[in-house]
Amino acid sequence: MRAVRKQIAKAAAGALSAIALSIVGLVSTPAPVAADGHGYGGYVSNTPRAGNPSTSTRTRTVIGERYVPTIWVDPDGCEHWVMDDGAEGYMTPHVNRQGIPVCRRGNVCGVMNSDQFFATDSYHITRHGKQRLEEFFRSASATAFVISGHTDSRASDAYNLRLSLNRANSVARVGQSVGARIADVRGYGERMPRASNRSAGGMAKNRRVEIICIR
Amino acid sequence: MKLLKATLVLALGVAVSGCANERWLMEGPRNTNDKTVDAGRDTKDLSQLKAGVWIDPNGCDHWIIDDGVEGYLSARLDKYGKPVCSGSAPPGVATGPFKSGSSIPDTI
Repeated sequence: MRAVRKQIAKAAAGALSAIALSIVGLVSTPAPVAADGHGYGGYVSNTPRAGNPSTSTRTRTVIGERYVPTIWVDPDGCEHWVMDDGAEGYMTPHVNRQGIPVCRRGNVCGVMNSDQFFATDSYHITRHGKQRLEEFFRSASATAFVISGHTDSRASDAYNLRLSLNRANSVARVGQSVGARIADVRGYGERMPRASNRSAGGMAKNRRVEIICIR
Repeated sequence: MKLLKATLVLALGVAVSGCANERWLMEGPRNTNDKTVDAGRDTKDLSQLKAGVWIDPNGCDHWIIDDGVEGYLSARLDKYGKPVCSGSAPPGVATGPFKSGSSIPDTI
């Protein structure tokens, strides 16, 4: 029944779009950015930043229909592009050019300072740390948890990836021991810094295990 | 002639009787090109949509919204851009209040 209705609606929409005015716009081609190699979380790229003013003078003509979206914010606080075209609706996540979602708030519910749970270069959690984590997982009231380990920039990238994953796994095991559902465990090493690694304070902030609560 | 009139009146009555299944009839040609509001009966802003969660065959979450005639589906991503796979329901199942955003009943 719905399929039939949809088809009729589609036919009607088709007839409408036939009389709809096509818009002709001038779109400037994005210019290649200078190879300054600005780094983004986890990798290095030359992707132009969104809204980068184009320096190119070349123009081309595009024939199309104007589809301007609005923003819907999901229960996690992240934005999606949304459009209502009469009988059809369209939606897609709002991500930046690096694929990172644009969010108004995060659902990180715990940032564990590694210094309080692990000795340098170790992924063994202290007894006191274990108790604190158990308490955290019991009281978080989440459906599932995503656990990501991070380090500062000392030692090699490969070593830090391994250490941060080992630490995240240690935290995940504590969660599992008290019945928490662990959706994912990751090691980002030094690739997602929260602060500058140029100061001791910054490095301490970067040594962390982040816990995302999925509710 | 009378019979024709009666038939027309009857047909019109069916079309405007608030029968939700025939909503597309009432939408008619849009006098605006605004895609940011619901084009139908409630003309609410699309930011008001109520979502549920649909689990794809890989076990990962998507936001699902049934807004009367329109349906929306969009990936649930974490802050790193990775899919959220919460395991809150089995694959192929939709949960939550995703049909509550519209007063228009939807029996299918």
